Amino acid sequence: MKKIVEIKNLSKNYGKIKAVKKLSLDLYEGEIFGFIGPNGAGKSSTIRCIMNLLNKTEGKVLIEGKEFQKNDIEIQKNIGYLPSEVNLYEEYTVGEMLNFHESFYENVHENRKKLVKKLNLDESKKIEDLSFGNLKKLGIILALMHEPKILILDEATSGLDPIMQNVFFELLKEEKEKGTTIFYSTHILSEVSKICDRVGIIKEGKLIKIEDVKEIKNKNLTNITIESKDALKIKEELNLDCEIIDNKIIFKNEDSFNNLLKKLIKYDIKKILIEEPTLEDIFYHYYK
Amino acid sequence: MFKKELKSNLKSFILWTIVLVAVYLLVYLMYPSIIKSGNIQQIDEMMKLFPDEILKAFNMDISSLDSAYGWLKSEGFIFILLITGCYASIMGSNILLKEENDKTIEYISMLPISRTKILNSKVLASLFYIIGMIFFITIFNLVSLKISGPLDVKEFLLISITPLFSSIVFFFMSLFVSNFTHKSKKMLGFSIGIVFLSYIFNTLTALDKSVEFLKYVSVFTLSDLRNVILNNKLDFSLILISFIICIILYILSLIKYNKKEMI
Repeated sequence: MKKIVEIKNLSKNYGKIKAVKKLSLDLYEGEIFGFIGPNGAGKSSTIRCIMNLLNKTEGKVLIEGKEFQKNDIEIQKNIGYLPSEVNLYEEYTVGEMLNFHESFYENVHENRKKLVKKLNLDESKKIEDLSFGNLKKLGIILALMHEPKILILDEATSGLDPIMQNVFFELLKEEKEKGTTIFYSTHILSEVSKICDRVGIIKEGKLIKIEDVKEIKNKNLTNITIESKDALKIKEELNLDCEIIDNKIIFKNEDSFNNLLKKLIKYDIKKILIEEPTLEDIFYHYYK
Repeated sequence: MFKKELKSNLKSFILWTIVLVAVYLLVYLMYPSIIKSGNIQQIDEMMKLFPDEILKAFNMDISSLDSAYGWLKSEGFIFILLITGCYASIMGSNILLKEENDKTIEYISMLPISRTKILNSKVLASLFYIIGMIFFITIFNLVSLKISGPLDVKEFLLISITPLFSSIVFFFMSLFVSNFTHKSKKMLGFSIGIVFLSYIFNTLTALDKSVEFLKYVSVFTLSDLRNVILNNKLDFSLILISFIICIILYILSLIKYNKKEMI
């Protein structure tokens, strides 16, 4: 597969604080790469360094083998960027904003019409009157309108309702099929497992792990909460590493559901809750 | 990009121009009754009792308050100098920082446009409005004064142009300094402060010869109304100095803006 983005030894310091530490990463043509980490892990600093909003303390970013520096118009033409908070010119209407954006690119009008229709956005509304969700939709259109080769998305679904989230995921799948490389920063693990091919986990500025999403899914990690008067028995017989509080046991399960349920069937269980692991669960379970 | 800048700054331009026109409208409405009252000669006589330095500081030694134009030449143009100076200085401090404060810089950074082009569009739009403001107030004053009586149009037009030089220098000074911060609020004090400090320095140099050196640090020295009134011509050396200062500050702003981190 063709390398589209190469991040090499990227570091960003704010005075003595090291926000990003020697981060290296390759993104390939047509892949969706999930970039996950809690707040303050260095996700936004990494993105802002890629976009040249921040000056890199060290390292470089190559786009199709060429170093991406400030004022490189040719590379900028091929990038679509959706920041976590979409801030646009409030004095404009949606239509005027799209016209302004369109003026920087060639032959994008048809795509604009298609996206506006798909995301169901009213072009006559003033930007200052848009809800957070509609503003996000406009941000998505602006990022996708010129059919960029690389899409950089930061917390892209925040503010979108579940229906629009699905429309958005469909759009991303279409882009992926066209060969667009997508860098998808989020803290929502379910989104990563839904659309991403690979995932990189950033912690305290360091990229601590890159994995195939399929492999993570195969690990089958789930959070299980069981309420039962046999709680102590379950803990001992299943050899669980957990505490019992009010007949409740909470543990992390790596076994398949079938095996787990077979083991539990002989106990008197009042309630059972099976949850997807949170980001922290993944961190602490695999990488502590 | 230039059109967008014009649109973004139109409201503040209209507001500032209205304020400036309103100040003069008020004076023009009041002046006929002051002249008719017959007290104007007494006021003029009273003015002559002031020390020469004070009269010189307000150009009252070379003009008289017996007409609206006389008032304009002595005190009236000071308002234009100060208001256009403040407008230009605030515009200079805000024009780049607004994108950072409104966080629209993230959007702009995605567009296939260089920072140099962004800066140029903003500078051109700002100059357009600064010149526009001086143009509007000049037309307004010209029409008002023409209605009230005979007028030396050439002298009036030359005087009307002079605020342009100090205003544009204020604009570029604030533009350059704004590259060292990320918050508009921090710049407000500076942008208004340099205008008033320049005015104070300029007035002090007329009042006291021992502080004459202050005129070299006052931007208003570049808008020498007194010279225009006395010699009926612009001092081209001052225009050249203004131009050179602006070019230097523009180049420095360009270098700094291209290196700046957008937080």
